[in-house]
Amino acid sequence: MSETLSKLEAADFINRTFKPLPRSYGDALIDAALKNARIVCLSADLTPPTETDRFRDELPDRFHNVGIAEANMIGIAGGMARSGEIPFVHSFCAFVTKRCLDQITMQAAYPNLPVKIVGFLPGVATILGVSHQAIEDVALMRSVPNMMVLEPSGPQYHAAAVQLALEHDGPVYLRMKRPEKITEDPITQLPLAYGKGVVQRAGNDVTIIAAGLEVVEALGAAELLSHEGIDAAVVDMHTIKPIDRDLILERASATGAIVTAENHNVIGGLGSAVAEVLADAGIGLPFKRVGVQDHFCEGGSTDYLLKKFGLDSSAIAIACRELMKRKT
Amino acid sequence: MSASANHNLREYEQIATRLRLHVVNMVAPSGQGYVQQGLGAADIFTALYFGEANMDPANPTWEDRDRIFLTTAHNTAIFYATLGERGFFDTNLLTTYVQDGSALEINSCERMGPFVEATCGSLGQGLSVAVGCAMAAKRQGRSSRYYVILGDGEMQEGQIWEAAMLAGARGLDNLCLIVDYNFVQSEGPMDLVMSIEPLNDKMQSFGFDVQDVDGNDIGALLDAFSVARETKGKPSFIKANTLMGKGVSSLEGLMFHQLRFPKEVADSARAELEAKLAS
Repeated sequence: MSETLSKLEAADFINRTFKPLPRSYGDALIDAALKNARIVCLSADLTPPTETDRFRDELPDRFHNVGIAEANMIGIAGGMARSGEIPFVHSFCAFVTKRCLDQITMQAAYPNLPVKIVGFLPGVATILGVSHQAIEDVALMRSVPNMMVLEPSGPQYHAAAVQLALEHDGPVYLRMKRPEKITEDPITQLPLAYGKGVVQRAGNDVTIIAAGLEVVEALGAAELLSHEGIDAAVVDMHTIKPIDRDLILERASATGAIVTAENHNVIGGLGSAVAEVLADAGIGLPFKRVGVQDHFCEGGSTDYLLKKFGLDSSAIAIACRELMKRKT
Repeated sequence: MSASANHNLREYEQIATRLRLHVVNMVAPSGQGYVQQGLGAADIFTALYFGEANMDPANPTWEDRDRIFLTTAHNTAIFYATLGERGFFDTNLLTTYVQDGSALEINSCERMGPFVEATCGSLGQGLSVAVGCAMAAKRQGRSSRYYVILGDGEMQEGQIWEAAMLAGARGLDNLCLIVDYNFVQSEGPMDLVMSIEPLNDKMQSFGFDVQDVDGNDIGALLDAFSVARETKGKPSFIKANTLMGKGVSSLEGLMFHQLRFPKEVADSARAELEAKLAS
């Protein structure tokens, strides 16, 4: 009976296994907080789903659950940052950006305060449906002056993302996805460099520039294409702002065709950011944006949603094949 | 802080009159503006900036200063006049009010300097920032107090109540809200737009210690601040009932958010305030 109850308490709509999932972000935040006494943690009643339950339990005097009030949470974080603290504020991507854009601009970004805005459930990847899906958040955050936008491609980069967020002495939007499954092996944490994309796979025919969960899909697409004689490179563009302009231009020159892949609307996100760099440099080349094609989505399992909305490796591969035809 | 009997009330009243004269002089050149609110709030600003708050104009970033958040960021004529008279900058700067290129914009903005504690032109946000500061001060063991001058109409914003709920739940006794209750919002008297009454009951139920005072009585305001300072375990709310246009007989009680302010009206207002200063 008591075991059943504790399992019921553990349900949080992400973890459907009732077994503890790795908390790569939550652990990294604790590690950072133990080294830096300025770090405080704010939650708006979504503590376990944002991996901050350890912080709550282990550093209780630096943890504040402010209730279900995201706009208030951003203002409070602004006040704490003005008082010398480095607040990490947590909710789902949809709520911690769209619901409080005005507060983010006026109380974090305009005064250029070190408020670190941390969102989970990026893009379409949730069973919770349209209300909880954030397909506009990158576009919004990218257009806010002083804001840095980070989207690591997996839990192995979450610790590095926390470090990058701290390196930027100003507001940061950190868009992350929790692992959905228990991993057999411990997660090996890998480093990231500020504003520098990571070439995850070399290739000479076409470059796929991806972020977040789309990096894995892009690697899958590259594998599919390799069997057809197409040599696709994959770039993990974990820092969407400031974007790695040099790497984009180098890839354009090296492969002459670029596909972008993002778990976001194709308007205003990674694809737009890459297109802006190319257009500003006067470069025209075969180019395609894989992402949500400017429509609302629905809830479901991640694999189902990626397939349904054209975000999976097969959709990326189709885009690459099309560009290869346009190249010739 | 000692009670009002120990203050030189006469001196504070002279300061308030000087602030009102600045307001008239600052708004007059453009022929319209936030003159009524400035005149009405002059006693709150005098009591808070000259009587109550610990601050050092020579060191505006002093860490242990008391913070004052003006969340009705458009009530700037009186705000800038107060900062100038308090010594944060030269009062000659007041002549640049609302001129192109001047940092003395209609809505106060922290590009002016650290004495603008947050940029609050978007209504309803400043209280959250003050709550965050007050929570950080508690954690860090700081003695600073946090004052927020709210507009009455602004209390229609939902975020105010999110922040008030948390302030009450956390018992932030280093926080003091003063609502400038002049009963006018952009489109007119508050009860014609949307009444927020019974306001004191609401704030009390949110966990605040509530005081209801004449916001144009400097002695009463100073007493209320003393009570707030002595109140432990809960935040304070002071409903300061103010009169639009207070101190200029031709303007008192004219309930306009934006007042047309022709030269002859400004001239007579100036003459009346100058006479009061000379008396």
